[in-house]
Amino acid sequence: MTTDTDTKTDIDPFTREVIVNSLQSAAEEMFLNLGRTAKSSVIYETLDYACGLVDPDANVIAQANGVPGFLGTLKYCVRDTVEKYGRDGFEPGDVVLLNDYHGGTHLNDVSMVAPVFAEGEDEPVLFTASKAHWTDIGGKDPGSWTTDATSIFQEGIQYPLVKLYEGGELNQAVRDIVAANTRMPEMTLGDMQAQEASMEVASERVNDIVDRYGREAVEQAAAEYLEYGRELVAEEVETLPNGVYHATDAIDDDGVTADPIHVEVEVTITDETVTVDFTGSATQTEGPINSPYPATVSDLRAFFQAITLPEAETNEGFFEPLEIIAPEGTVFNPTKPAAIGTDWEGSAMAADLPWKALAPHLPEKLSAGHFMSVCATIVGGRDDRTDDDFLVIEPQPGGWGASEGQDGADVLVCIGDGDTLEMPVEVMETRFPLLFDGYRLNTPQETGHGEFRGGTGLVQDYKIYNESGAFLTASFGRHKYPPWGVEGGQDGNGNTIEIHETDGTTVRRGKVTTYDLENGEVARLITSAGGGYGNPLDRDPERVLDDYLDDYVTAEIARDAYGVVIDGDEIDSEATRQLRTRRRDD
Amino acid sequence: MSGSQTRVAVDIGGTFTDLVAVQDGVLELSKTSTTPQNFANGVVNAIEKSDVSPAEIGQFVHGTTVVINAITEREGVDVALLTTEGFRDVLDITRSNRPDMYNFRYEKPEPFVPRRHRFEAGERIDQAGEVLTELSEEDVRAATREIRDAGIDSIAVSYINAYTNPVHERRTREIIEEVHPEAFVTLSHELTQEYREYERTNTAVLNAYVGPIADEYLTSLSAELESRDVDATTHVMKSNAGTSSFDQATQFPVEMVESGPVGGIFGAAHVGERIDEPDVISFDMGGTTAKTSLVENGEVDIETDYWLEQTSRDEGYPLKIPVVDIIEIGAGGGSIGWIDTGGSLNVGPKSAGADPGPACYGQGGTEPTVTDAHLLTNRLNSEYFLGGDVELDTDAAREAMEPIADQFDTSIRDAAHGILRVVNSNMSNALKQVSIQRGYDPRDFVLVASGGAGALHAPTLGEQLGVKEIVVPRAPGQFSAWGMLMTDPRRDYIRTNVMPFTTDTRADVDAICREMATRAIEAFEAEGVSATEVTLERNADLRFAGQEHTVTTPLATTADGAVTESTIARTRERFSDLHERTYNFTLDDPVEVVNLRLTATHPVPKPEMNRTEGGDSLADARKGTRPVDFDEVGERETAVYEREHLPSEASVEGPVIVEEPACTTLVAPNQQLSVDDYGNLRITDQ
Repeated sequence: MTTDTDTKTDIDPFTREVIVNSLQSAAEEMFLNLGRTAKSSVIYETLDYACGLVDPDANVIAQANGVPGFLGTLKYCVRDTVEKYGRDGFEPGDVVLLNDYHGGTHLNDVSMVAPVFAEGEDEPVLFTASKAHWTDIGGKDPGSWTTDATSIFQEGIQYPLVKLYEGGELNQAVRDIVAANTRMPEMTLGDMQAQEASMEVASERVNDIVDRYGREAVEQAAAEYLEYGRELVAEEVETLPNGVYHATDAIDDDGVTADPIHVEVEVTITDETVTVDFTGSATQTEGPINSPYPATVSDLRAFFQAITLPEAETNEGFFEPLEIIAPEGTVFNPTKPAAIGTDWEGSAMAADLPWKALAPHLPEKLSAGHFMSVCATIVGGRDDRTDDDFLVIEPQPGGWGASEGQDGADVLVCIGDGDTLEMPVEVMETRFPLLFDGYRLNTPQETGHGEFRGGTGLVQDYKIYNESGAFLTASFGRHKYPPWGVEGGQDGNGNTIEIHETDGTTVRRGKVTTYDLENGEVARLITSAGGGYGNPLDRDPERVLDDYLDDYVTAEIARDAYGVVIDGDEIDSEATRQLRTRRRDD
Repeated sequence: MSGSQTRVAVDIGGTFTDLVAVQDGVLELSKTSTTPQNFANGVVNAIEKSDVSPAEIGQFVHGTTVVINAITEREGVDVALLTTEGFRDVLDITRSNRPDMYNFRYEKPEPFVPRRHRFEAGERIDQAGEVLTELSEEDVRAATREIRDAGIDSIAVSYINAYTNPVHERRTREIIEEVHPEAFVTLSHELTQEYREYERTNTAVLNAYVGPIADEYLTSLSAELESRDVDATTHVMKSNAGTSSFDQATQFPVEMVESGPVGGIFGAAHVGERIDEPDVISFDMGGTTAKTSLVENGEVDIETDYWLEQTSRDEGYPLKIPVVDIIEIGAGGGSIGWIDTGGSLNVGPKSAGADPGPACYGQGGTEPTVTDAHLLTNRLNSEYFLGGDVELDTDAAREAMEPIADQFDTSIRDAAHGILRVVNSNMSNALKQVSIQRGYDPRDFVLVASGGAGALHAPTLGEQLGVKEIVVPRAPGQFSAWGMLMTDPRRDYIRTNVMPFTTDTRADVDAICREMATRAIEAFEAEGVSATEVTLERNADLRFAGQEHTVTTPLATTADGAVTESTIARTRERFSDLHERTYNFTLDDPVEVVNLRLTATHPVPKPEMNRTEGGDSLADARKGTRPVDFDEVGERETAVYEREHLPSEASVEGPVIVEEPACTTLVAPNQQLSVDDYGNLRITDQ
């Protein structure tokens, strides 16, 4: 669909608005339906999926997201599908299944693409597309992604753009292959069916819209809407501070060796564009922290939206000013067969780096660094209560960075997650043989101090409540290189997995794969505080007192970190003044 | 009919307090200003202004915003919270989601209890209800002493897994009563026995937050009513579209949170039943918002997944109490049309409200609203708005509309139609959300329109949606109060117990249902209602094993309420059908039950309303004609009628305008209007 077709018809702006609204509703309905019927918690609670409508030129027209992590991926799903089959290679009722390496994110994220036709036409007017995290698609370990795979072939089966349905007929061979390549067939086939059904409903809605307004009007509305996205963002980009900004950082390690992985960015802002250049960052690693290009694009788009119009409805046009340079063969654009199972460690860094570069220059939009890693956790085993296998995948929430005038948010999911709901303890305990010994803020807070305090992380004690034990796989990035402070604010403490074994030993790690836990052993999952903003000695003493009364800090921390002397439940103003003066002089 | 059977409903809204009564079969209406200083005054004023004699009131039903106001204005009382050791922070942790995904400075909602007032007690119960750690009574005593000494008189208690075994919460109440007898105590499991600790804890906290305020209000209202010689049974409207006695409402005040709006939905259900169309979509459009809800076979849809102050950018606060499922969007008569930075026309959610109001009110409003658009297309009578109380200023409306017309290089008329199309598109999506998106075919439903602006839009929306017909009931501007007149005392119970739904678990399902039934009947008996007067209805939240979300399915039972092997099988079939209808597929997988629900209703006699006579002939009702602009159809000379004088069983072809003091009904050229025996306007395709 292009803006300058010969068949251009004039539609009034109000009709355009109505058509675009209807297309958005269709995408949202697809999203809701999939969430309500899926069998994996990673879909229905984490909302690790996205649904959208994409034109045959791979422009996203409408998209509903649970997480920003898919903001740039549906485009590539449709691009690759059209490339493979050609515009005339579809018929009504086709559904293409893919988790293609170059067009996607880690293999667990399986996409479907289906064409929608106007009555009696040969080429699709739009495609419905969705991408969702399937709990298990084979590979070397349960849950498929691991922290120590060294090749894509260990991370599950690949579906290379195959037709699951042809003209409405199920391709049984494909379905059988799907079923044979998962450890949780009931769950996976359930998710697959939920995904198919949600797309079918969306196709019906789009069909209704096309029937009512005609193909040309819909194409025209979509083209104008893309133009609207361009215009919407252009003004914002112009107001960004022009200049060239740099940041460097390190990813803890690749999960296979202990070496830190160097990353760097140069951000160039002009009146028209924001260019993010990762040249100089490490080459792709042996371990699975690599971020495939679409994952890099997605997290960068989230960042781009954050610095322009966070509340806008977006489409492909909106993201045109964002230019990305990620040399092939690096952690931000790996090539097959590099492992990509924990791609969020790389992709979150793709957003965190320019964020770090710009945070001091855009204080009204950007906070200090947050705990960043998805801190994804898999717990699995055999549930003695039912004798069935269980497998739960969950992201863990942590502290966000402080910003000018505002403390960071406590316990919130990371940038790679969005409207992601943490599973309640009572639901977890019902579904899985776990007992939570604690579920609390990580206080007293030792790090992230500043004039505005970084948000507090979470401490969860997962006690295994199962005779036959369980295993744990988890990737907690920013374990060694903690969230960064801004303008004199302190860094956070870093994310940590602590295993408390029955013999009294404690193991502290940033990553574990299929770690065996016995009945009664505790995995303590600790997420980091966010970075602070500004000098702690400038913090309003009343805020420090509030933090003390609410048990965020002790009297010692108030004194040592903030220079505030608390006596009883009150501030000793004179002692505070003296201490702060002395500390400033030091 | 004896005078003591006069039924009165009073609904306090933001601007007006409405009274609707049925006395000797005749509908009485009165409207007074709301009195925010002391809402009870407004209630008494409304009674005094009406023709109802206080001594003759037999039943008094009340909808009040006192609870929702205390919450939204943060004027509740100080609350302390007692939790299980290790779980003090559930109010801070929330569900940890970031609805405002691209805002990197997101702020979480502030808990209603500061951390310093949250206390932990040693105790632990597992998900099966087994006590793993006994309650530390000393912890509870120490905490209660501290709470008392801090001067806090409202305490919420919420322990992990208390939904499945409340023994520790109950014992905690006893200890609190010893140490701090004046405290208002809320136990989480008494409000809901559903799992999800954050939601249940927040529900308990909000109940504690408004408890003393609701108590004071209802006590003072009772006294006011008594002093005015009202000797009636008094009920308040709850969010579940049922009522409860003042006494019970004082215990669980948070159940009144949506006390007002649900009246209109219940009213729509009642209108549907009366005209033999029990499948209804209710549509209530006022000045600021439009609300819609679906009623199937006379039953309103109740959910327990309600979030206060939730927006697409804010997670809000959960309340796990039964609330009628309402979709509410920012589209009303006062909604403002505006152009965004990308150059697109939007309408709402910002509203000009009552002050300054739409530009055409001439009170200083300068932005174009939906009402201005109606005036400019001649749908509204500038001299008969609110019965002539407000004269509308067409020039002001035109002036306000100009920037929109300029932006799109079009006429004022087209700009006005643009606003109407966009607002209709927003509302149409909301109507689809409650119907098509949930697997219902609108062609099986009637659309009942209420609110000041409902009948101006419903005929267009109904036609687009393809509903059977559009019904505009009497007194559409006071319809919420009217609906309250038709309600019954009702209690809802819910109990989470996740288990396979098979013949093996039949006995468990049966036992839980019986236990809930016993609680319900005991509660009614305490208010002097006998068991035989209570109707029970059971539902099960079912899912396919492995799913999370459930489909609420009517639980089949034998005539005496027993769950048997064959009723289990029937329920499973029904679930499969519902799943297929809602989501386009079903599975052969095992079925699980998550929650069992029981609704207990005490049906009370409804006021019988006389059939209306109306005027003698259509000619009497006809006020004249005016040219009305119907967008694509163009301008049509349109007959205008006064509603009060329309004879019953009249029938007339569109285009037609029907005017009444608080509402205008617009019938399109291809539609047919008739008036039924009850005075409802019925609009169908020609």
